[in-house]
Amino acid sequence: MEGFFSVFTVELLNSGIRLATPILLAALGGALCNQAGVLNLALESKMLLGAFVGILAAYYLGNSYGGLLVAMVAGGLLGLLFAFLYHKYRVDLVILAIAFNLIIVELTVFVMRAMFGNVGTWSDPSIARIPDIEIPFLKDIPFFGPLLSGYNIIVYFSWLATIIMFVVLYKMRSGRHLRAVGENKSAAETVGINAILLQTLALVISGALAALGGAFLSIGHLKLFTRNMSNGRGWIAIAAAMFGVNHPVGVFLASLFFGFADAFSVRIQNVTDLPPNLVKLLPNVATLLVLIIIGLRSKLALSMARRRFRAQLRAEEAALPGESST
Amino acid sequence: MKDGRFRKLLDAILVPLLAVLSGLVLMGILILFLRKPLFESYAVLFANGFGCREYGNCIFITALERATPIILTGLSAVVAFRSGMFSIGQEGQYLLGAAAAAWLGYAIHLPPILHALVIILAAMLVGAGYGWIPGVLKVKLGVNELLATIMLNSIAALIVEYLVQFPMRADTSAVAHSPVIDESAQLMSFLPGSKWGVGFVIAVIAVVVVYYYLWRTKPGYEQRMAGQSRKFALFGGIPSDNSAVRAMLISGALAGLAGAIEVMGVHRRIMTGFSVGLGFDGLTSAILGQVHPIGVFIVAILFSGLKLGAQIGLQLKLDIPRELGGTIIGFIVLFVAAGKFYEQSIVRARAWSTRKQGSNLKGDSG
Amino acid sequence: MKDVPMTPAIEMKGITKYFASTQVRANEHVDFSVESGEVHALVGENGAGKTTLMNILYGLIKPDSGEIIIDSQKVQINHPDDAIRQGIGMVHQHFKLVPSFTVAQNILLGMEPSQAGFLNQQNENKLVDELARKFNLPVDPAARIWDLPVSMQQRVEILKVLERRAKILVLDEPTAVLTPQEVNELITVIRGLSKQGYTIIFITHKLIEVMSVADRVSVMRAGRMIGTKKVSETSIPELARMMVGREVLLRVKKKQVHPGEAVLDVRDISLSDVNGLAAISHVSFQVRKGEIVAIAGVSGNGQTELVEAISGMISLDGGEILFKGKSINEASVRERRELGMAHIPEDRMVVGLNLQTTLDENLIVSKYNRSEFSRYGFLLMQAISQFAEKVVKAFSIAAARPGEGIAMLSGGNLQKVVVGRELSGNPSFIIANQPTRGLDVGSIEFVHKTLVEERDKGAGVLLVSVELDEVMALSDRILVLYRGKIQGELETATATEEEVGILMAGGTLEDLKQYSEDKEQGENREVKS
Repeated sequence: MEGFFSVFTVELLNSGIRLATPILLAALGGALCNQAGVLNLALESKMLLGAFVGILAAYYLGNSYGGLLVAMVAGGLLGLLFAFLYHKYRVDLVILAIAFNLIIVELTVFVMRAMFGNVGTWSDPSIARIPDIEIPFLKDIPFFGPLLSGYNIIVYFSWLATIIMFVVLYKMRSGRHLRAVGENKSAAETVGINAILLQTLALVISGALAALGGAFLSIGHLKLFTRNMSNGRGWIAIAAAMFGVNHPVGVFLASLFFGFADAFSVRIQNVTDLPPNLVKLLPNVATLLVLIIIGLRSKLALSMARRRFRAQLRAEEAALPGESST
Repeated sequence: MKDGRFRKLLDAILVPLLAVLSGLVLMGILILFLRKPLFESYAVLFANGFGCREYGNCIFITALERATPIILTGLSAVVAFRSGMFSIGQEGQYLLGAAAAAWLGYAIHLPPILHALVIILAAMLVGAGYGWIPGVLKVKLGVNELLATIMLNSIAALIVEYLVQFPMRADTSAVAHSPVIDESAQLMSFLPGSKWGVGFVIAVIAVVVVYYYLWRTKPGYEQRMAGQSRKFALFGGIPSDNSAVRAMLISGALAGLAGAIEVMGVHRRIMTGFSVGLGFDGLTSAILGQVHPIGVFIVAILFSGLKLGAQIGLQLKLDIPRELGGTIIGFIVLFVAAGKFYEQSIVRARAWSTRKQGSNLKGDSG
Repeated sequence: MKDVPMTPAIEMKGITKYFASTQVRANEHVDFSVESGEVHALVGENGAGKTTLMNILYGLIKPDSGEIIIDSQKVQINHPDDAIRQGIGMVHQHFKLVPSFTVAQNILLGMEPSQAGFLNQQNENKLVDELARKFNLPVDPAARIWDLPVSMQQRVEILKVLERRAKILVLDEPTAVLTPQEVNELITVIRGLSKQGYTIIFITHKLIEVMSVADRVSVMRAGRMIGTKKVSETSIPELARMMVGREVLLRVKKKQVHPGEAVLDVRDISLSDVNGLAAISHVSFQVRKGEIVAIAGVSGNGQTELVEAISGMISLDGGEILFKGKSINEASVRERRELGMAHIPEDRMVVGLNLQTTLDENLIVSKYNRSEFSRYGFLLMQAISQFAEKVVKAFSIAAARPGEGIAMLSGGNLQKVVVGRELSGNPSFIIANQPTRGLDVGSIEFVHKTLVEERDKGAGVLLVSVELDEVMALSDRILVLYRGKIQGELETATATEEEVGILMAGGTLEDLKQYSEDKEQGENREVKS
């Protein structure tokens, strides 16, 4: 078992945080949409679009940071389209998401092949990977130093985004209005809140964030684009949002959970015979359990009211002097 | 009477038809963008997806074979949706069914037809069991079946990946795979050089069975009523909870069957990368096929033919990236989903034509 | 009584509104005026037009004609925002609150004070505390709505309206969700607000409450304003007469049948609603063979829950129901139907029928299990089609054909489908819940005729209706449901609409006695309008 514990290194934690980043970005967006009352299952498509557009833009602009910005814009536009179709034509959200996912997976490869010939993967040596940043003060902190310093800007941005989202949702007016829309749309609209605007905003922001997560995969990590690069991370992000009950802090922790499981599963192959995939099962099963608990809670709440009523009835009957119940 | 039913049929397929046409037009636009010959592209696409060459070698047969698992997962979605369960768990049930089939294909040894039958039954049971989980969670605990099946899909994928890489692993080759299943477990194909065979027949039988089940039997009736109007079902005395769970059992079994047939008739084993999203393809076929077994059948074949035509025809002959096929299919789904747009246009067109007629009449009465 | 200034706060003149979709004249040349600072009750039965009138005032509906004058100025109210700007605030029957937010967050929703977009929770709580103190409506600003009882939630809604500077409050059936104790608390609140100069209009059908809190009361009936009276100068019986007074009596010819033994025996049943409050409380009654028993009452007094409990769609919390002598508490909907129970539901389009499918499939929903319609799990399509044919003929359902959809059928024909299904098979007990709602005269006649026929054949019929005409015309006995309890029982042959009206409005036997005394004294009492 000694080999098992050797896996727990700082390097593992670093890797876990990196792997969690694209998930975190997309999940934050997903959670924002859920809070606004509009289920966004198209995170996968936005992530993939960001990966593709990001690396393309980085190539044509000669600047990777520029690529990130363009990716975010593209994701935001896709989110805008999603919002438009949903609000104008009342398209079912799930079907809309399935369509978007399908289109983007194929369209990105189509465009790649149309532009660069019949390739399965595209890359270019001129593209610079987003560099890791060493933060001078942080990196010298004992023990935590290596955990906090040395990541690329996208990772730090994702932490910043978590904090910003928390502040906006719970400390600012528009955030509260957004949550009101998600919980009781008619109550919000009655007091003059523009529900459609807020939901559209949520979809645009989530598109931008997810796209940034995708760009992280291409420009920030592998320096290439290949078919279906996001590989289901969009769906994991949806799970992370569920697991984190749509709260930024919860989503942050949930994304870390998924990220660590991923990092763990890779490293454990080298040291033991434990199957890696079973490790990755943990966060998924945990999310399912969260869903079950949520379901149980609302069922219980309903029956609580009735049970109280019945108990009251029995108390009344007991108090009545000698009346026989027929 | 006949006129009314024809009218209904027309209304049902009008939007999908318009969507498909719009998709094909979009394809034309994209082809023009690539500066490729427009009409030749269409011709090549259809010839290589649905056509037959002179010496009787029909590519259409391959389209049928490729459509087989999609038909079954599509039927799985139809049964679930018609019962009011928006389950997208076909992918996971399909994988588990495939794994079960792959395992039983080499782990047990039985005489030819019996072996295949046992495997099919087992795969259907496994799929049904996995479909039962979200069903019961919804009915007893109110868990959203959409979210539950998303998670269950991930879980199934991980479990199957594990199975392929460890307990069922055949050798130490780079791409993990299970041992080839016994010959007694394999589904035979009808033509040499093609995988089209018994699997397709099973799919066709399934289409007929699902149709009859939904529209001609008691449990099917219960499911449809509960799916269309829960209050009505409750009021009439239909046990909605039972029918919802039953629907998920059947839905899971169909998806599991799809997986089994892919293993037994095509790959003869299971390997890493087995999952290519056939569960989702079935889902989209169900949506495009107006959630009807026959619709699913037609769309699945169209779907596969399009993809094939793009793969073999457009890519190989005209150097047009084959992903065009998949892209257009995605757009067609989008167009169908945004059907309201077509409905509004149709209403406007009808209003315009009646106004013209009206003005004509006025002229007549002078 | 305090001195009220001469200029009314609100004047509505000549308001007319016709709903084409349901062909209902909701308001017909209604004049309505409310004095500043008074508590004014607007009463009437279901369909009297009071909610429509208030919706027009609040800008939710546009009138066909008429004008609204506020503080002597004619105003245009096209949207609730306009109403709010005029100082009108409305508290609806169904609250518009965000359950997970606190009281303060809900009250200030949409108008939170902020600095550069940032909120200040403590500030908000303080603001709400001040607000609550000002109006003597104590609330805990930090409490979450989902933890609060309904009466407290209502208080939050009132504060919400007051915070938005409303000078005129419109309350729509505010006591529907309150316990008697909470009703008293609300009455105190309303009196307090009135003393502070606020004008309060509340819509209700409960005359007892009117008598205890209002200064004046306006009575509407069938879209018309019947009259306005000072509460101090009127009585429950008089108001009830104004509410239900009929010019024409409809009577359906009924056979003299002697009712047999009880087919339905309801014993001391109680049922809670979703909030844990009593929807039905210790209700007992019987329906015998060959009689029509009517449950009268304004909707919202427990009728829906009563019907759901009897039909088996919901389980009881207390008491017992016997059908043909045997307890059916544990029996499912299907089992009750098999025992001979039929049910014509109040919502034919969503509950009684499935408009997405064919006529045949609608007709067999309660019968598909029978051997004549299914065997070995398969449906016998031809038998079902023939049955559909039979029903269409027997009930002359126009435009309905076996194998075709029913979504396009008129209301009357849809109801015929429901009735045809429920009555074929000779049920021994029929629940008819608002069976003629939204129907034309011909269809109403048809339904009435059919129900009486069934009764004459020996079935027991439970008619649940808010239409007093119908109740008086069809029933042999009338039970009035009020706040989930049986307020009183009358023999139809000797009862008058006014008596039923009194019970429906919450009056008691005392009031009934008062009423009959009044009647004896004859026309000596003049009715001032």
